[in-house]
Formats: sequence, C-alpha cells, structure tokens
Amino acid sequence: MTVTSSVQWRMGIQTRSSSFKGMSLTVTPPAHSPFSTQVPRSLLFVAPFWYCCPAMHRVKVAVVGAGVVGLSTAVVIAEALPHCSVTVLADRFTPNTTSDGAAGILFASQFPDVPVEQQRRWFKRTFDHLLLIASSPEAGVAGVFLSSGWQIFREVPPEKKPYWSDCVLSFGTMTDAELKRFPQYKFGQAFTTIKCECPSYLPWLQKRLEKAGGIMIHEKVTDLAELGLRYDVIVNCSGLGSRELLGDEDVHPVRGQVLRVHAPWLQHFVRVADGHTYIYPGAGGVTLGGTRQAADSQAIFERCRRLEPSLGSARPLGEWVGLRPGRRNPRVERGHVRVHGRRVPVVHNYGHGGWGITLSWGTALDALDLVRQCLNERPPEARL
Amino acid sequence: MRVAVIGAGVIGLSTAQCIYERYHSAVSSLSIEVYADRFTPQTTSDGAAGLWQPYLYDNGNTLETKWNKETFDYLLGFLNSPDSIKMGIFLQSGYNLCSDPAPDPSFRDIVLGFRQLAKRELDLFPGYSHGWFNTALMIEGKSYLPWLMNWLKQRGVKFYQRKVSSFQELADSGVEVIINCTGVRSGELQPDPELKPGRGQIIKVSAPWLKHFILTHNFKKGVYNSPYIIPGSHHVTVGGVFQLGNWSEQNSTADHKKIWEEACSLEPSLKHARVMEDWSGLRPVRSRVRLEREMMQFGPASCEVSIKTGAKPLVHLSTSTSPSNAVWTQTLQLIYNYGLLFQVIHNYGHGGYGLTIHWGCALEAARLFGEIIEQKGQGDRSRL
Repeated sequence: MTVTSSVQWRMGIQTRSSSFKGMSLTVTPPAHSPFSTQVPRSLLFVAPFWYCCPAMHRVKVAVVGAGVVGLSTAVVIAEALPHCSVTVLADRFTPNTTSDGAAGILFASQFPDVPVEQQRRWFKRTFDHLLLIASSPEAGVAGVFLSSGWQIFREVPPEKKPYWSDCVLSFGTMTDAELKRFPQYKFGQAFTTIKCECPSYLPWLQKRLEKAGGIMIHEKVTDLAELGLRYDVIVNCSGLGSRELLGDEDVHPVRGQVLRVHAPWLQHFVRVADGHTYIYPGAGGVTLGGTRQAADSQAIFERCRRLEPSLGSARPLGEWVGLRPGRRNPRVERGHVRVHGRRVPVVHNYGHGGWGITLSWGTALDALDLVRQCLNERPPEARL
Repeated sequence: MRVAVIGAGVIGLSTAQCIYERYHSAVSSLSIEVYADRFTPQTTSDGAAGLWQPYLYDNGNTLETKWNKETFDYLLGFLNSPDSIKMGIFLQSGYNLCSDPAPDPSFRDIVLGFRQLAKRELDLFPGYSHGWFNTALMIEGKSYLPWLMNWLKQRGVKFYQRKVSSFQELADSGVEVIINCTGVRSGELQPDPELKPGRGQIIKVSAPWLKHFILTHNFKKGVYNSPYIIPGSHHVTVGGVFQLGNWSEQNSTADHKKIWEEACSLEPSLKHARVMEDWSGLRPVRSRVRLEREMMQFGPASCEVSIKTGAKPLVHLSTSTSPSNAVWTQTLQLIYNYGLLFQVIHNYGHGGYGLTIHWGCALEAARLFGEIIEQKGQGDRSRL
C-alpha cells in the first residue's frame, strides 16, 4: 500500500493532500478556521488511510527514553508524521544517558534470533544516515565522523567477515605488514566506519526534534497504563528501564567500564575481537575499554597499552561506568497496554545491548513502521 | 677531527645524528658542531605538516625512492618505542584523490595497507574520480627537531646560532669536513641555479574530529597546488600552494582565501573548525636532491690553492688546469690527505619531502663521510 501525502503551507494555513490508488484528495481549510474542514461523506471509508485530517485531534505520541534510541525514534516519527505530536519523556537526558558514555564506533555483533537481513538493514540504515551527517558541514557539531582502524584476532576466525562488512565505508583483511604491530594476533580486519559521539549527537538530535515540533519532558515513567491516559500511542525506548517498567526479565545490565585519556596523536581504533580490549580515538579524547564485569582501571589501561605502547604518554581524563541494556535480541515489536478497557498501542524499541548507537536509526525506522500500523488500525474519528 | 653541520632543520640535525652514531667510536676526537641562524621552532621543517609522503612519481629517480623507503622503515621501527610521541611519530591513514585516472604512486609498496578507493569512498569527494587509501606515518617537526637536538646535546654536540657566510670561514677556523644542509638558502653559500624556493602557505585549524589526511592531486595545477588537509597531534594543517620562485615568507590574504575555499569544498565540516593561524615557508625545490661530496671548487681558468696551516701560508701553487684533470685531482687528493684541505658534503634540495626522505639521505651522507675517513687513512690524521 502506498499512500503519498504532502503538506504545504499556503498563506500560513496547512494544506494537506493525499493520494491513494489514483484518487487524490485535497483539503484546504477555510481561512477563518485553520483546524476545521468539510469532509465529504463519500470519503469516510478511506478515512483510515487519510490520517492527515486536521479535524481529528493531533495524535499524541509519547516516546519513553531520551537515549540515542529514544531520540532517534522520536525524530523519525516527528519528521515522518507531522500530524502527530511527539513528546519524549525521560528521567535522564544527555549528558547523563547510557549512550553518552559509549565510544560510539559503529560496529555490531550478530543477535541469535533476529533474521540477519533485518539486522543488516538496521545497521545499513543507521550507517547511511550517519554517513550523510559525517560528509556534511555538521560533522564536527554533531560529533559524527569517519574512523578507520583494525579489529584483531588471536586465532583465525571461522567467519572472516561480519554481516555488515559491506555496510561500512570499506572493509578488508589486514596485510602481514599491518599485523606485525600486533605480534600475538594472527588475523585482522581493516575497515573505515563511523564514530558517533552522543554528547554531541544527542543535543543535535534534540534540536532536530524541536525543529520538527517535538517536545521533551523530564519525567520518570513508572506506569505505562497511566501514560496511556494521556497519550494515544506509546513508544517504549527505555533501554535498561524496560526491566522494571515492563517486568521484562530478559533485559539485564551488562556493565561497561571505560577510561578516557588525552592522546591526540592516536587516529585509528584498535579492537580485540573478544570485545574486552579496545582503543577508540574521538574528538575530545580516546576511550579505552572495556570490561563486562568489575575490573581495575589499571588493568584496562595496561591491556590497551600493550596494544598501543604510545599510550604510555597519554594523560588520563576520567573514567565512566555504564550499564548496557542487554537482551538476547532487541525487542522491536508492537504491544499494547490496557487503559480503562481500551487498548493503547505500544511500540517497543529496546534491548540493543552494546549496539544502541549502531542500530539506532535503523530500529527507529522499523519502530516508525510499527507506529504507522498502529495508527492505521485506529477507529476512524472523523468529525463532520 | 672537527665536523661542522650548517643548518638545523631536519636534514642538518639527522645527518649530524647519523654521522655521530656511525663514526664517533671509529674516529677518535670526532667533534661535531651545528651552525644555523634558525633553530626549531623557526625552521622550514617546523612548519611542515609532517606527513610522510613523497611526490606521486619519482620519474626514474629510484635512489630517492630508496631513501624514502629507508626513512619510512626507520620511523616505523620507533612506533612501539616509549619515545615515539616525544619524537612526534604516529600512524595516520587517509586519502589521495586524483581528478583523473592515474598510475599507482611510487610509494605504493612502502606504505601500509595501500589500496584503490572504492566508488562509495570516491562519492564522498565530488570532482575526484580516482584515488588511493593507505596508512602512512606522521613525523612532526615541532617534536622531532627538539628530540634530535636533545639527542645531540647529550652526546656533546655543540650548537652555534649564527649565520655562516662562507665555507671558507669555517675551514679557516679548522673545520675539516662541512655538511651543507642549508636548504632553500644554499645558494648564498654556493650559487645553484637548480635550487629555487617553492613557497607554501598553510592554515592551522582546530578540527579534532578529522582523523584522516586528504590530499588532492591536480596534474594540471602541479604538486601541492590543490587542496590538502592533514590532521596532526595538535592541529589540522590545511593547504596548499606551491609558488616556484616566490621568496616571501609573509602570509598572503589571497592565498589564505584560496586555500580555505578549496579546502572547505573538499571537507565541508571545516566550516565549523576554529582557525588558529597561518604560516608560510619556502620549500627547497630542486630537480633532484643534491647529495654529494665536493672538495673546494676552483674556477676553470686558473686555480690557486692556498695551503695554510695555522695562520701562515705554507705553499702557494698556481696552475691553469681544471679540477677535473686526473693529475690535478690526484694532487689535490694528496694535499687533502695531509689534512690541509677540507671537504663539503652537500645535502640539500629536498623540496616538499624533506621529512619524508631525511633518514635515507642522512645514511647516504654518512656513507660519504665514511669515504672521506677512509681516504684519510685509519684513525685520526692530525694537522701538520
């Protein structure tokens, strides 16, 4: 089904036109009343598709969570569905979200149960979206830029290429000369990907959200049913918070500890394939990690220094610990919550583990599709 | 034995280091002195961005390619040493872009990870249809030169800040071998019509999200006359101009404007970079590096050799044969072997690739020095 719709502003009044199966409908509200219009009865049966009717109250969408997934999803919805009013509710905003501490290198492991094609689509859509920003004048402001480097393996792996190898800008096997720098490693991949730094990117997304008419509210959501009293559609991007909010015990915290150092001569990332040791140079410092359980910062530093001896000249900037919203697979699907006998649709988009930034835009687009589906199934509320 | 190096840029200092390393134990009482009117951070080497990269093609000059490779391998060996950052050495990857298809450059087998650019990468740089990606080295003069001076000072090398007016002046004071590393102003000591200034101007900016060098090549405009962007450990160097014959070391507003506009076209995010300052320098351009030794050169019509020891002339010879005559050369050699003449090793004319080629040239200069020592016989030949 394709419905194309366009919104034009003429003399300060919104004109909406839609076309479906060749029928085209144009509505220009009378000048005296920008929010009312005459709807011919014969068009009532297409009303489910004609969700641009200004006679309906604006659909109120609540997005729970203001990390990279929440904000991306909110922006995607606000920009694609201008008849929806989007409100982001969260107890934490940048720079205090989990996303803010992440290095933000676009990279992903494969989830066990989601079809690979879908994961690849998530990755590719996020990468392409961020690549546009990286090649624009906004790269420095948004904190989104190209990053080249190496992933090294102690033993030659069975899978030499990950599912996303053709999504990043370039991907190849390291040459022997390149591997010489890492004598204990037998195999490596060299690629150019993107670094997306949330302390810059989230404010940039927030501006984009506001430009699209979205608003943000500092509020800790503890009860989806209560939220359902105030909003028509709920989009749950609460990350680790879903454990408590929904009682989803599949969500579990995966601890990450990183050091940040000043080492401005480092231009390449280095990641050991087991994910326990990585060096990610950024615009404001180099992120050294990491661990999945409690560990001494000194241990992290020593492991990184063995890979990159020049770190001996680095100056420490600080430490950070975050809890990744771990889950066997991300949950991107529809649900609902019962409110006074009504069903208020909920779209879930959480559980991205350590790959939130990497999959943020792609899963946001999937969430948008699910929101559209929810809206299409709403009973027609046209008023004549 | 007194050896005087004239010039304290990368060529002078590294040649002094190389000669010391190889001969200080073989030649008793070897004393090395460095004379220069400019020391770091005022030399040409200090202003250069510091990217190791020769001109694209050596046009058959395989000797220079050999010296470039020796330098690359030498610097690469320091990467994992604790001194690497003090020396200003670190890896950097990036893009070489050509407006038209071009053969692979002379350095393709020297650098790491050399490959053709994929279409997707070229799409990031409109106007460039062809190019390469590789990992090379940075060798920043502002760190390397102080490191070299320190190394030399620790071994008793003396430094004199003054302008040397002639080779004779130093010889008169008892110097037996002069290493001429006077770069673009070598013509003041000995006229050289092949040596010309290749004026360059660069803009230093702060843009810490940039992690790759981007060099463009426009074969119609010539080398260094099209934009380049080279991130360093402290700032990003943006260029380029190459003005043959222009001796001005003043920054030009017109050049700044041209460089800035072209660079912003190439890398739009520079729009939000913070401009720090401009710098102009004179590349010592020559058709090829002058790296050879020379006994004192006399006019062809009449040769007058004044053989002095101390302050009083000992022998006065007059002859009309040219120095290329075999008998004359042998005579001179004989006179020289008695420690009564001096030799000059020229090591200048490295154009825009001084840092790139410096170690290979230092090794060759040291080899020439070795020839001098050998011809003088074993050990020290004291003056009569």
